[in-house]
Amino acid sequence: MKKIIVIYFTLIFSLQAQTSNITGKVTSEVGTPLIGANVILQGTLIGTATDSRGNFSFTGLTKAGYIVEVTMVGYKKFVSNPLNLDDDKIDLSITLEPQSFQIDQVVVTAGKHNQDISELPVSAYVINANEFSEKSFVKLDDALRYAPGVNVTFDQVSIRGSSGYSRGAGTRVLVAIDGIPLYTGDTGEIIWEVVPVTEIQRVEIIKGAASSLYGSTALGGVINVITKDIASNPLTYIRTYVGAYDKPSHTEWDWSGERRIYNGLTLSHSNKIGKLGFSLSFSRIEDQSYRQGGWSKRYAGYVRAKYTFNESTNLSFLANGYTQDRGTFNFWKDSRNALVPPDNDQGQRTPSDRLLYALVFENVVNSNFNYKVNTSLYRTYWKDDSESNNSSGTNLYRSEIQTEYKISENLLTVNGIEGSYGIVKSNIFSNPDAKNIGVYTHWEYDFNFPLTLTFGSRFDYGKLDTLKSFSAVSPKFGINYNLSKYTILRSSVGMGFRAPTLAEAFTSTRASGIPVKPNPNIDRETSYSFEIGVNQNISDFWNLDLALFHNEYFDFIEPRIDTTQISDPYVIFDNVPKAKIQGAELNSLFNFDRLNVTLNLSYMYLWARDIENNRSLKYRPRHLFYGKLSYSPGIFEFGLDFRYWSKVEEIDFELIEFNLLPDGHKRVDVYVVDLRGGVNLFTLGVPVNIYLNANNLFNYNYVEMIGNISPIRNISLNLELIF
Amino acid sequence: MKKFIPQILMFFNLFFFSCGEGISPAPEIIEPGFSGTIRFIGQWPSDITQTNIVLFKNPLLSAADFNVFNIKFISNTIPYGASIYNFDSRENFLLADVQPGEYAYLAVGQSKTPQLSLSRSDWFVAGVYYQNGDTTKPGTLTIPIDALIEGIEIIVDFNNPPPQPPGG
Repeated sequence: MKKIIVIYFTLIFSLQAQTSNITGKVTSEVGTPLIGANVILQGTLIGTATDSRGNFSFTGLTKAGYIVEVTMVGYKKFVSNPLNLDDDKIDLSITLEPQSFQIDQVVVTAGKHNQDISELPVSAYVINANEFSEKSFVKLDDALRYAPGVNVTFDQVSIRGSSGYSRGAGTRVLVAIDGIPLYTGDTGEIIWEVVPVTEIQRVEIIKGAASSLYGSTALGGVINVITKDIASNPLTYIRTYVGAYDKPSHTEWDWSGERRIYNGLTLSHSNKIGKLGFSLSFSRIEDQSYRQGGWSKRYAGYVRAKYTFNESTNLSFLANGYTQDRGTFNFWKDSRNALVPPDNDQGQRTPSDRLLYALVFENVVNSNFNYKVNTSLYRTYWKDDSESNNSSGTNLYRSEIQTEYKISENLLTVNGIEGSYGIVKSNIFSNPDAKNIGVYTHWEYDFNFPLTLTFGSRFDYGKLDTLKSFSAVSPKFGINYNLSKYTILRSSVGMGFRAPTLAEAFTSTRASGIPVKPNPNIDRETSYSFEIGVNQNISDFWNLDLALFHNEYFDFIEPRIDTTQISDPYVIFDNVPKAKIQGAELNSLFNFDRLNVTLNLSYMYLWARDIENNRSLKYRPRHLFYGKLSYSPGIFEFGLDFRYWSKVEEIDFELIEFNLLPDGHKRVDVYVVDLRGGVNLFTLGVPVNIYLNANNLFNYNYVEMIGNISPIRNISLNLELIF
Repeated sequence: MKKFIPQILMFFNLFFFSCGEGISPAPEIIEPGFSGTIRFIGQWPSDITQTNIVLFKNPLLSAADFNVFNIKFISNTIPYGASIYNFDSRENFLLADVQPGEYAYLAVGQSKTPQLSLSRSDWFVAGVYYQNGDTTKPGTLTIPIDALIEGIEIIVDFNNPPPQPPGG
């Protein structure tokens, strides 16, 4: 075996004899080195990220004409002329121009291949990695709370009202890391702590049903975390932060008598040695919490290795996970003890371990055809100290083969097959398993007017343990028309589905004194969705985007409190025969370049109805407004964020009526203001960024989920070192 | 730029909503009741087994008024030989049904029975609550909604016992 390996590598190295190098430096207009810019050679799988000086290098290239493409969120894409490698070495100096609006941002999630947002038939939004540093975000959901069209209820994300709050069971938003889904095999929930925020390059949010490509759970949309590419030169990143929660605004709530602290440290390094590139990251995160029992302590690790066989073939390995210990805080004791859990929950802990492994093989067969094979294993384990002593261990295996074929200059198709198998061993969901297989096809035709038509469909077949098997066809049709240089029209119509999770079907436990019972008759839910939108560049500094959407759901799965037996009410997941979610989303971006000022304003109106019972769907605010003002004079950065959402109309009133949640009716309109300031010393040659954040500046007390006060005012200092 | 100043100002205006406090604690619900001190003067009689504070809704005009429906409160037994005893009707009780309203008779009763008895003949009144120093008649205790009447004082003078209600 060893001989074979030696011969193999000898061959590889001998093929490198006639090679050339491309090196370069990427800077902003004012000459600041841009760190982490993505540099690729078009038509190949060769890519890298710039280092702390903005430098990149490609070595061992065969003599041929290459086109260098550089992208970075917030900057216009740079594409070089074809480079002739007659010389052994080419050195490039690339200046990226700032991008006023997101419309030219490249995304990969909507069609599973590279597209500009301006070409999409659906609404999309991109969160820049810088936001995680500037605002000291520790988890991905912290950032999603500021994304237009998105709201987060406790730990459950919702795009355009797709989800309410289902106690961690199931999601209608597919969250993925580099396209690999992150929902767990038992509860089907998203574990936000699994996402390594310091490794994020950007987060792509695709709004509206995406089951035609992604199958179940993408009913409301997709959030895809794109991780940083591996730098060609050594790059070390250190981030540390420390913060403190202020004292509660009511003396009755001051259970600890002290200011609670949170802090974290991340060490990350990436490099390339020959054909092997790697990124390693380790984080320690600790939060004493402003709530008694809300504390957590987490150690997280991230390893990514990429072996480039040649310009057309590479193999990537990802291992990402954490081990965490945390307290339990589901609901408050009552509103006079709003930061203290009920007596029965006092002192409880929930240790958990989550680990995601993935292998991705990519091959560019020729300039028109490439394919990708990925396979992953998501292992999760948790247990709690509740009265039921719940525990669950899950293995979720998943594989996907995806092809991309450019049939002609105008026609492109993406096709694939995806299968998953999850097996659970627990005392809360019993020991069920789940299988699913899906086949999808996606076609895009670009007319020259310019009009882009998109058609896709996916067939899924699945079975959850003893439940009857299901199948679903999810077609989607989209159109994108650039009416003029300034006006882009888009529209899409499609069908989607979501299979119940094992937790929704089989949970049998008690949580905070509330029984949860299984529902063996639960069925999959289906939907059809429609969206029409327009993007208008009003002027050089003002972009406006309007979208109207209409979604209808059938057999919508929602948790409800069954009060048939008055003496013993319980939670059960059940199908709501019909639900309708309609609304409008308006996003306005002012970018005053000369003043270094940007102002984002976004408003969403949401009309989410349970048609059968003629009432609002639970935990969906009707009005959401987000505002973000940024001012960046020189090396300084200042920002102000404002979030508003109206008081949710429908909640679990039964919890209150049956005195399971004292004062649970207390909820308010939400107004939250965050203030931040920072200094970027890179321009001065010092590889340091410093940010100061004041979150919930006015210490406004609100709940996302009833009986659980959201973070009170807290101030943090964040330090980044990159070299 | 100038034409956008109103929009920017409006954006800032919205922040002022955040200055409200949002959710606040529910008002404290005070269980109605009464509290105070019993002072004992003189030598405790021998053989006493039960010493309790007892509250009656209606006046004790006959032995028949000493019944379980008229008794609204019986404290825990006061330790034999105590010289002072602090009480709170919400905390230490054998029976408590103290609702807002007027109560006609509050007293300290003593008994020599091994078990708590509700027979009038088993009890001797050792001290009575008087209102405003008027010892000519038992004081009326008025308990308002959501309030605790504090500072009630009853003197038990073993050398000078109060008038006994009928049926003793």
